[in-house]
Amino acid sequence: MLGSLRRLLPKPLDPKLREELRASAKIGSAGFDTFGLHPATLERTLRWTQWIYRSYFRVEVEGIEKVPAGRVMLVPNHGGQLPLDGMLVALAMVLDAKPPRFVRAMVERWFPSLPFVSTLFVRCGQVVGDPENCRNLLERDEAIMVFPEGVRGSGKTWWHRYELQEFGTGFVRLAMSTNSPIVPVAVVGAEETYPSIYDIRWLARLLKIPYVPITPFWPLLGPLGAIPLPVPIAIKFGDPIHFTGDADASDHEIHEKVDLVKLRIGELIERGLDERPWLRNLDPVARWGK
Amino acid sequence: MSVLITGVSGALAGIVTQRLLEDDQEVVGLDVRPLPMGRAFGGEFYRVRRYTQRRVAEVFRRHKPRILIHLGRIRGTALRSLNQRYNQNVLGTRHLLSLAAKHGVSRVVVLSTYHVYGAHQHNHLMIREDAPLRASQIYPELTDAVELDHATTTFLWRHRSVGTVLLRPCNVIGPNLNNLMSRLLRSRSCPSLLGYDPIMQFIHQDDMARAIVLAATAKAPNFGVFNVAGEGVASYSHAVRLAGGRTVPVPHVLAYPIVGALARWRLIFPQHLLDYFRYPCVIDDSEFRKAYGFEPERTTVQALESVGGSAGIPR
Repeated sequence: MLGSLRRLLPKPLDPKLREELRASAKIGSAGFDTFGLHPATLERTLRWTQWIYRSYFRVEVEGIEKVPAGRVMLVPNHGGQLPLDGMLVALAMVLDAKPPRFVRAMVERWFPSLPFVSTLFVRCGQVVGDPENCRNLLERDEAIMVFPEGVRGSGKTWWHRYELQEFGTGFVRLAMSTNSPIVPVAVVGAEETYPSIYDIRWLARLLKIPYVPITPFWPLLGPLGAIPLPVPIAIKFGDPIHFTGDADASDHEIHEKVDLVKLRIGELIERGLDERPWLRNLDPVARWGK
Repeated sequence: MSVLITGVSGALAGIVTQRLLEDDQEVVGLDVRPLPMGRAFGGEFYRVRRYTQRRVAEVFRRHKPRILIHLGRIRGTALRSLNQRYNQNVLGTRHLLSLAAKHGVSRVVVLSTYHVYGAHQHNHLMIREDAPLRASQIYPELTDAVELDHATTTFLWRHRSVGTVLLRPCNVIGPNLNNLMSRLLRSRSCPSLLGYDPIMQFIHQDDMARAIVLAATAKAPNFGVFNVAGEGVASYSHAVRLAGGRTVPVPHVLAYPIVGALARWRLIFPQHLLDYFRYPCVIDDSEFRKAYGFEPERTTVQALESVGGSAGIPR
């Protein structure tokens, strides 16, 4: 009886993976790295997130071998209300990359004020998205993940799925000044996990949070409605882009480089959607449009 | 030719004195407190009421100190009024510095604190020395610490004949120290803020004393502003566990008013330091390590384990 119950539980982490992970981080005597990553906590959460990654979202990864060793900046598209896409890309780098790597995702500045979640996120390697943090991490040859769209991307409603929003330019300047390659990443399927049909702007302003989405299930079904839909997700890594030149160039010149990254991500998304045509067909409005 | 140490009744200054005496330096002590009972001081000791007193100048005249180590910053406990702290820390420091310039002191070491950067949710990690000192904007109670820091950096540039070294250490802990963090870690149950567990840095008392002596006696560099930290980081709850205690989480919505109310009765810790238990304030000490070739001898774990250890001599 107990044995069958245990079989229902997610499998523990592969000890070999655990060792490889430990070896990849620069950990001090107390078990933390300088930015607050605590591999022991991460390993504990991995038991559950591994199940979410493999069994719930059935993530398919393509091109992960293109991520170079050493300092690197992963730039995915952003969508789906909660930063599940960031979590899944980071998990892909832990569970599917050879050798496994910790990815430091850059989180919103208001995040540290959230109790519990922020503590857990910091233990799992997330860092407040400050340019200074990015620079420090890249100079330590870490892999970081930035979302240049920010909340503009994650807060999109259903009808704007996979439309890349305005990109900031800071990430390209940072990559250039630290001489780090940029790897464009497309996450296909995350947009459909929470189909937001409306964003209550005034409530978001009132609560001082970026957006308050309404989905067909949330807040109608209460906590049940907060469970993401089990959409199969594809993560596609593109070829690394090395920018050379003056990191302090005018915005005009930097914008060209930003647009190139955006274009590459767009191409990857298109490829992903071609492989999952039913994701496109989900949208009645788009069909009417055609 | 001697070394003048202020705040010499403190435990950290005691260790610094010991080290200097071992190096055959002549040590002169100055403090507003009496020397702790039972501690023999291997030099001449002067007790003043305030560092702004005219008697302080007489100490400079009589001993002609070559080095001034200013460890006499009084901390923000509820025991002292803001006004008293301002007088002692800001005006006292300025007085000492101007005397140092006047009496030909060649090296001044001032101990500030990492608190001057302020704990804020927008903080980036690994704060470098050139970062703005945000503390006085967030907590008026820390104005004296920030102004002491500013007074020293201004002095550094204005009097280039005096080599001024300003140290901003992380939490200094040790079995002999009586500062807030050491006391907290020694207690069985340590209050923490529910859901918040920032990473912190700790340096052992011996390592900090060594850093101070290094800054006072090393030939080069003879001036600068430096963060000083130990090896690595630990979250507050880990630190408490390593020191042998356990955390008692209190929701922050309750903690702030409770601490505020208790502070009036001179209990627990100052309210303005609560944020340091909520948001990280992590400093980058690479400049100091590079400039002085300094490596802490104790790891964070060793430092934390030593705090509650029986090796400590109660002050």
